[in-house]
Amino acid sequence: MTTTTAPVLDADGLARSFGSLTAVDGVTFQIRPGETYGLLGPNGAGKTTTISMIAGLLRPDAGSVTVAGVPLGDRPIEAKRHIGLVPQDLAIYPELSARDNLTYFGRLQGLSGSRLRERVGAVLETVGLTDRAKGASKKFSGGMKRRLNIGIGLLHEPRLLILDEPTVGVDPQSRHAILESVEALSTEGMAVLYTTHYMEEAERLCDRIGIIDAGSLQAEGTRDELVDLIGGTDTVTLAGTGDLEAAERALADLAAVEQVHRDRGALRLAVKGAPRAISGIVNATAGAGMTLSDVEISRPDLEAVFLHLTGKALRD
Amino acid sequence: MRKLLVMIAADLRQQVLDKSFFIFGLAVPFALMAVFNLVFAPLTEDLEPITVAVSVPDGDQLGAVVPQVLSGLDGGGMPVTVQQVDAADATSRVEEGEAGVGVVVPEGFTAGLMAGRAPEVTVRHADGTGLEADVVTGVVDGLMTQFTSGARTLAAAQALGADPAQLGQLAQEVSAGGSAVAWTPGESADEQLSPQGTIVAGQAGFFLLFTVGFGVLGLVVEREWGTLARLLSMPMPSWLVVLSKGLSSFVLGVVATAVLLTAGSLFFDVDFGSPLAVAVLLLAVVAAATSIMFLIAKVARTAEQAGVAQAIVAITLGMAGGAFFQVGGSGMLSEIMQVNPVAAMSRGLGVTSGGGGVVDLGPVLLTMLIFTAAMLTLSWLLPGRKDAL
Repeated sequence: MTTTTAPVLDADGLARSFGSLTAVDGVTFQIRPGETYGLLGPNGAGKTTTISMIAGLLRPDAGSVTVAGVPLGDRPIEAKRHIGLVPQDLAIYPELSARDNLTYFGRLQGLSGSRLRERVGAVLETVGLTDRAKGASKKFSGGMKRRLNIGIGLLHEPRLLILDEPTVGVDPQSRHAILESVEALSTEGMAVLYTTHYMEEAERLCDRIGIIDAGSLQAEGTRDELVDLIGGTDTVTLAGTGDLEAAERALADLAAVEQVHRDRGALRLAVKGAPRAISGIVNATAGAGMTLSDVEISRPDLEAVFLHLTGKALRD
Repeated sequence: MRKLLVMIAADLRQQVLDKSFFIFGLAVPFALMAVFNLVFAPLTEDLEPITVAVSVPDGDQLGAVVPQVLSGLDGGGMPVTVQQVDAADATSRVEEGEAGVGVVVPEGFTAGLMAGRAPEVTVRHADGTGLEADVVTGVVDGLMTQFTSGARTLAAAQALGADPAQLGQLAQEVSAGGSAVAWTPGESADEQLSPQGTIVAGQAGFFLLFTVGFGVLGLVVEREWGTLARLLSMPMPSWLVVLSKGLSSFVLGVVATAVLLTAGSLFFDVDFGSPLAVAVLLLAVVAAATSIMFLIAKVARTAEQAGVAQAIVAITLGMAGGAFFQVGGSGMLSEIMQVNPVAAMSRGLGVTSGGGGVVDLGPVLLTMLIFTAAMLTLSWLLPGRKDAL
């Protein structure tokens, strides 16, 4: 969900070097309320350095960060009140229970009294740990620890939630639960910055995606906008019976269809914007006397975009 | 301030839950104190009573001084019973175990001395006698040395024409008069720890260097856990996190060392003197020990590295500071090695044990103040992680 209100996060020209290594070089992007922004890039691309500067953990060599209208460089404590950070490491105290971990970090966020108790209870509910609130977190499964890690970032209801690769090392079931939780956050109006090197997560969760490599933002936009950058077309495969020749001719007349090939009992089409054009395609084949038994749409993915932009695969 | 207290309280709670503080900060050092006391106690106990059988020929002026001097030991910290017997008895009593030492002054002792001869005094120990018999022998030996030098002086006077009768009387008076130089145990501001006190102070100082690591070196652990990043992202100044770790170390160090010194005093019968002076010394020494941990936290990349560095520093400073045995030596290096919290603890407690107060601790406190400032400055200046100073 994207709105036109003022951005919650404005990162402008961020740069940071470590000795002779330029980790981040002029990264600029904005995130608006309710928007989930994905920073997609391989390990070592500069994602964690970027969010470290945004969360106030690292001072940028150049550039600025503004959170909810508050410049981080000038008023760091005020700006940090609007940020919830979920580090890549499990940033919890293993000897403490889930409730104690939440209470501790809640106090440091400035919560107290009934408000603190209320938020701790609500977050335990959100991350599904109410039943295990009193047990030492060192006895939790990896997925439960991850959920607690995310819950701590949500405690003070930040305007901006930063999630640094929150599904690394998590089993598929817990990953699914985490992704569902993140999806729910944007509907609550929270701006989410999500770093990942998993293309599927970026495609599923993010309204907009910034592709980062070698410290630079290579491109950003919605998934479709990024795919369009490489001029990609979708492939639609139609299997069925009837008059395939007539169907081929009818399909070739459609504006969205760029090419049609007949391959034994199937038609293979090159289509611009297949999701939007598919109903016209199905109607055209039916009108031409072809009975469809299977329809398959193959779209160019972010992996292909990344490969096109950087010359290497995401998992390199 | 509230957030600072929240972090300190959480740190201390972590240590309580973890139990390492109790094991390595209290139980282990106390156990070592007990072991060292068991091992070294026989060397440090008070001297046992001893009976000395002395045989002196009748009318021998200088020989009569021997039992007088030995009796004088009784008032000097060693209970001595002197029995004047004949030569045969002196020997038999030692053989039968009725006397620990037998001393036989030969016939013509004084005359022989005055004539420049070397009369032979026999000292015999009973089986199984220890340090007490050695002390008696040492005293007799010292007395003989004194007699010899006095006799030579008198022989010279006689050669110059002095009256021999008067000289004999004079020699007896001089010998019985004792030493012209007296020593008195200090009562104020002397560095004088008892052997038990040395063990307690040394072990307390040595283990302090481990205890204070539970706080500051937690920075390295939290860095690994990722909780440090989370703490630094909280709406508070980042130095507050570092300060909280330092104060946690300080509190743990003060508590552990205070408990150890108190327990050591009670169980090993050590008097460290003025509680106020000891408390001030404790604060200064713990601050210095804590400052070392900031340096380690700055350079260590992992908790394992920090642990190894901490152990090396503790053992080095512990040995240099006399936690295990007194280190001799002189020169600048020796002086530098003495500038460390373990040595300061022993020196300071020596001062307070001798009756010294806070003012008398001035040099030790100043040394620790400078040490703390130097360590913190070095931590600040050293290149490395910015989350530990």
